[in-house]
Amino acid sequence: MSVLTVFHNGNRREILFAPPQPLHEVLRSASIPADHPCGGKGRCGKCAVKLAGSTCPPTEAEITAGTRLSCQAVLTGDATAWLEHTSLTQIETNTHSLASVAPMAGAYGAAVDIGTTTIALALYRLSDGAVLASAAAENPQRTIAADVIGRMEAAMAGKLSLLQQLVLEKVQKLLSSACVDAGIEESAVESLVITGNTTMLYLLTGKGPESLSHAPFKADCLFGFEITILGKRAYLPPCMDAFVGADITCAVLASAMTENPQPSLLCDIGTNGELVLWKEGVLSVTSTAAGPAFEGAGISCGCGSIPGAIDRVWLEDNQVCCHTIEESPAVGLYGSGLIDAVSTLLKTVDIDETGVMDDDLLLAENVVLMPKDIRAVQLAKAAIAAGIQTLLESTDTKENQLSDFYICGGFGTHLNLQSAANIGLFPHTFIQKARVLGNAALAGAAMLLLDTGLRAKAQQLADAAVQLNLGGNPKFNENYITQILFPEEGF
Amino acid sequence: MDMKEIALEVINGKTKIVKALVQQALDEGIPAKTILEEGLLAGMAVVGEKFKNNEVFVPEVLISARAMTMGAAMLKEKLNESGETAKGKACIGTVQGDLHDIGKNLVKMMLESKGIEVIDLGTDVSPETFVQTAKEQNCQIICCSALLTTTMTVMGDVVKAAEAAGIRDSVKIMVGGAPVTEAFCKQIGADAYTSDAASAADLAVTFCQ
Repeated sequence: MSVLTVFHNGNRREILFAPPQPLHEVLRSASIPADHPCGGKGRCGKCAVKLAGSTCPPTEAEITAGTRLSCQAVLTGDATAWLEHTSLTQIETNTHSLASVAPMAGAYGAAVDIGTTTIALALYRLSDGAVLASAAAENPQRTIAADVIGRMEAAMAGKLSLLQQLVLEKVQKLLSSACVDAGIEESAVESLVITGNTTMLYLLTGKGPESLSHAPFKADCLFGFEITILGKRAYLPPCMDAFVGADITCAVLASAMTENPQPSLLCDIGTNGELVLWKEGVLSVTSTAAGPAFEGAGISCGCGSIPGAIDRVWLEDNQVCCHTIEESPAVGLYGSGLIDAVSTLLKTVDIDETGVMDDDLLLAENVVLMPKDIRAVQLAKAAIAAGIQTLLESTDTKENQLSDFYICGGFGTHLNLQSAANIGLFPHTFIQKARVLGNAALAGAAMLLLDTGLRAKAQQLADAAVQLNLGGNPKFNENYITQILFPEEGF
Repeated sequence: MDMKEIALEVINGKTKIVKALVQQALDEGIPAKTILEEGLLAGMAVVGEKFKNNEVFVPEVLISARAMTMGAAMLKEKLNESGETAKGKACIGTVQGDLHDIGKNLVKMMLESKGIEVIDLGTDVSPETFVQTAKEQNCQIICCSALLTTTMTVMGDVVKAAEAAGIRDSVKIMVGGAPVTEAFCKQIGADAYTSDAASAADLAVTFCQ
């Protein structure tokens, strides 16, 4: 056996392992979080660490950088690694007490939302619907890959049971910690409602995601049933299709948009943008691949919603000003700050409407915005904007017919609506109609926990949803190209 | 009439003006080949260079490419009459299981802007279709596109299918798309990977010589 000494967040740890073994596996065996956004392919460079000792030879790029990629480096004997300080992402768990109508079995129950990036849990007393505690953490599957496609690929390459185990362990941990906070015995929790996107539910239940991974993208299971998870009864709400999951069914339920006689639009902006349009009794759904730019990946100084992340950028006396999360020293640029920054630079004409920015812009010490970052924002925002446009067009809906624009998901909660409209993420007329819902998926799951009668409603929503496929859709392609440009007016 | 005028309007993406100028040039008796090469393709070459240098982005390239394509369509008959042949021939498609085609369409237009004839097989194209088309149409190049890590593996099957059909030595296989890398290209035994459409077109030209 050899020893890997790890310095991380002010701690020193020693991990025993049998060489040769890849560094990322050794770190995972000790539950040390190390993200591998590109799925461990050695492409994104986001898992770089300082490493000394017995290892495989470094590549030329690694020699130049003075760091090693934890997904690529193989330990051949004793070694030492110095990891970047990691901070916990801030996660939305804005749940509140609800009425208990026809709750699931037992004294207590938990609603869980398994997101690609984060997992959130809320613990309820089923007799009266009181929320007792909540807990949240990053999805540990991130150490395998950042996005759903990367996770699917890993699952199909033999890591399905590892992915399942990672998420089950984390849900168990969150449940235990919520029970401790609430001062109740874990055994008194008999029921769970676990929601999430379709891929997350496949991985949770150990189902191979082949059917989701390639055209025609027809899921062979859409859930909407009870199973046993962690020894408890767990209801998995129904998914709408391969890329519009149970989290969206729950969000629609929580928004009550289908009770609205007027047309309305619901949008979950993330790596995948899910869009739902309610009009004249028909729910039309689609998903659009924005990519991870808004979550910080592929942006030179991008980062998640961690302390020190720039989350607001504005102009004051012609000076670009920044605010960071918890007002810590700036460490990177979060999606909401990125959108603010682009909006600000469009205003100062440092970026033109075609997206040309001549020079790097220093936002804070160590945090710089580069011309290629603007291109990444253009592609991401075009995917969402063209998705909205195509969904409206295909349902023959005019912008001004919409009464409400529901925004859900963690990213949407932090978004400055004015900046988002300025860069053309959605039309300016949507600002007045915006209803920011926070973690609506979790709220919908809690409703299902406290009222089993809503299952029929959820199933009906999922079954009746009409899917609009955007991939290869000529109308979407045309809109996408147009939407890559920034709006020429609108300030 | 100066062919630079046509080139300039291609750069500006003004389809209507390009068409009018091409007609005027034809009326003046300028050979179709000259209009194509010194006007339309020369303009597009400038756009391709700017794209590589991050001075323009996908929309501008597509707008210019449309102007070029429209202008070139007016020359087709004349070029055929005078026995002009394309520099080379390629077939292109998005691989089986994948429906994303914006990148593929961009590469197609950039190839055409270099005077290469391109057969567009569309999306969700099986390895057999790529190989059969290349064989029947005598293509020098097969271009495969994919946007998903779960579908890009099909590119390896295209290479194998070309080997099985006995055309591997006579055809170059080019691969591209967001998840594709140089390393992946080598791993599956394809001939070339480029990170952008303009570089793909430059490389395709060398394969046709």
